[in-house]
Amino acid sequence: MLETTVDEGVGDVVEWLALLRKFKLRRSDKVTIHGCALLSDPSSRKKLGSEVWTVYEQVAIASMDCQCLDISNLCIERLLSKFSNSVRVGRLEGMLYEAKGQWQQAEKKYQNLLELQPADAFIHKRKVAIAKGQGNLSSAVEALKQYLDIFMADHEAWRELAEIYISLQKYNQAAFCYEELIMMDTSNANWHLNYAEVYYTIGGVESLRIAKKYYASAIKLSAGKNLRALYGICLCSAAINQAKGRNKDEESIDLQSLASSVILKEYKEKCPKKLALVTSVLEKQKP
Amino acid sequence: MANDLVLDTAIRDWVLVPLSLVMVLIGVLRHFVSKLLRSTNTPDLKAVKEGQLVVRARYLRAAGNFIPAKAFKSRRSYYNNEENGLLHVPKSQAQNMQAQMFSDPNMAMDMMKKNLSMIIPQTLTFAWVNFFFSGFVAAKIPFPLTQRFRSMLQNGIDLSSVDVSYVSSRSWYFLNLFGLRGFFSLILGEENATDDTQKMMQMGGQMGGFGVDPSKTLTAEKDGLELIQHDWALPKLEQQAESVLRQILSR
Repeated sequence: MLETTVDEGVGDVVEWLALLRKFKLRRSDKVTIHGCALLSDPSSRKKLGSEVWTVYEQVAIASMDCQCLDISNLCIERLLSKFSNSVRVGRLEGMLYEAKGQWQQAEKKYQNLLELQPADAFIHKRKVAIAKGQGNLSSAVEALKQYLDIFMADHEAWRELAEIYISLQKYNQAAFCYEELIMMDTSNANWHLNYAEVYYTIGGVESLRIAKKYYASAIKLSAGKNLRALYGICLCSAAINQAKGRNKDEESIDLQSLASSVILKEYKEKCPKKLALVTSVLEKQKP
Repeated sequence: MANDLVLDTAIRDWVLVPLSLVMVLIGVLRHFVSKLLRSTNTPDLKAVKEGQLVVRARYLRAAGNFIPAKAFKSRRSYYNNEENGLLHVPKSQAQNMQAQMFSDPNMAMDMMKKNLSMIIPQTLTFAWVNFFFSGFVAAKIPFPLTQRFRSMLQNGIDLSSVDVSYVSSRSWYFLNLFGLRGFFSLILGEENATDDTQKMMQMGGQMGGFGVDPSKTLTAEKDGLELIQHDWALPKLEQQAESVLRQILSR
């Protein structure tokens, strides 16, 4: 609501920026445009009072996102002249180095800041970002591990680590991370689903069984709405049957047939065109 | 008889109003001074780590049933291992911690600052009021009160014949001291430093913080983990998933 009025140039920019900060939104392009307009006008700067420094910070970060580095440079310079040795401004400097691709300087900056404030989670996270930005995933893993050794209840970091492990194809480690995530938020179907997928990828009858169980729980938690979990059940059951060969099957194949019929029903309702394709795919997996 | 006691207007101008005004000004001053003195506390890395560790171990205890038995066991041994488990606190270290907490100069300094900003102005103003304004009857409240209020409203006047609805200057000081809190929160914002009762509570909390030592919470968490049985919840969920799917189909 407010955003559209701001775009038209009549809304209250200050209020909108404060709202973005409050909800941690990141409309970088618009923040850069409107924030710059606000900050370049001395009278409105005066009106902001002490809030002006927060806005400077916000605009600096937003303009880094947009690669308008001279704007963020300006903002940071202003902040530096006011708070010459604040850690918070130091973080911004480090981020600017990062945005310019000067990794070594950024690294050094963060290292200095960490000596001042060893328990600053944000700086630790930036170090991970440096490693990732350079495309060096294994050192990103190392940095993340260091971070998680201290802040071990941070679920976002666990998620990041899991995703990096997957892209490095270290599935057992990724599974560990997803276990951690499942425990932190037991009712989130996504973690169950991802965990199942990791185990399905690892392969082998035992892993497939585990994967099937977690696909089932993902179905339960998403009330059967998650097609990916439904497909997963079908694939898992098919793979298990194949692996076991002839001597099946004390396990129920109920779940598989149920899942496939739910998939078909979904498609019938929402996308009848692809029904034939899906039917043939599912038919092939039937024992 | 007491009803014809007439209060000089000079008392209003030179005692009642200045007293209230000074109280307000001192409150504002204290707010800003304590803002100045407040030190930024940098959290201790080890304390952060211990806090997070307890949280993570609690997750394991609460939701261990959602991960396979093997994963659960390996985690438990990681936490509870007698040699180098994370939750295991060596005995000698446990005793040290308490001593360490008390000798931490930062903590003591912080408490001192808080205390000073509270006590010094209060004693000073009280001495000032006592010296200049003792024995005045400063105001009269417009409704009658019972004898029991005498000690509250006529502190410093030892006359039993004066009607209770007259307020002595020293009592006026006390009324201001406790009654201006609402006013301060109005003009200085909710979290002002003048709120004495809140400060007292904080102090109590900090004292509690001294007593509890982190190694105890770690050990308690360890015992809790040791006790729970792992019962994998997933097979049950599988059946529930089946019934969910059946429901969808039957719709």
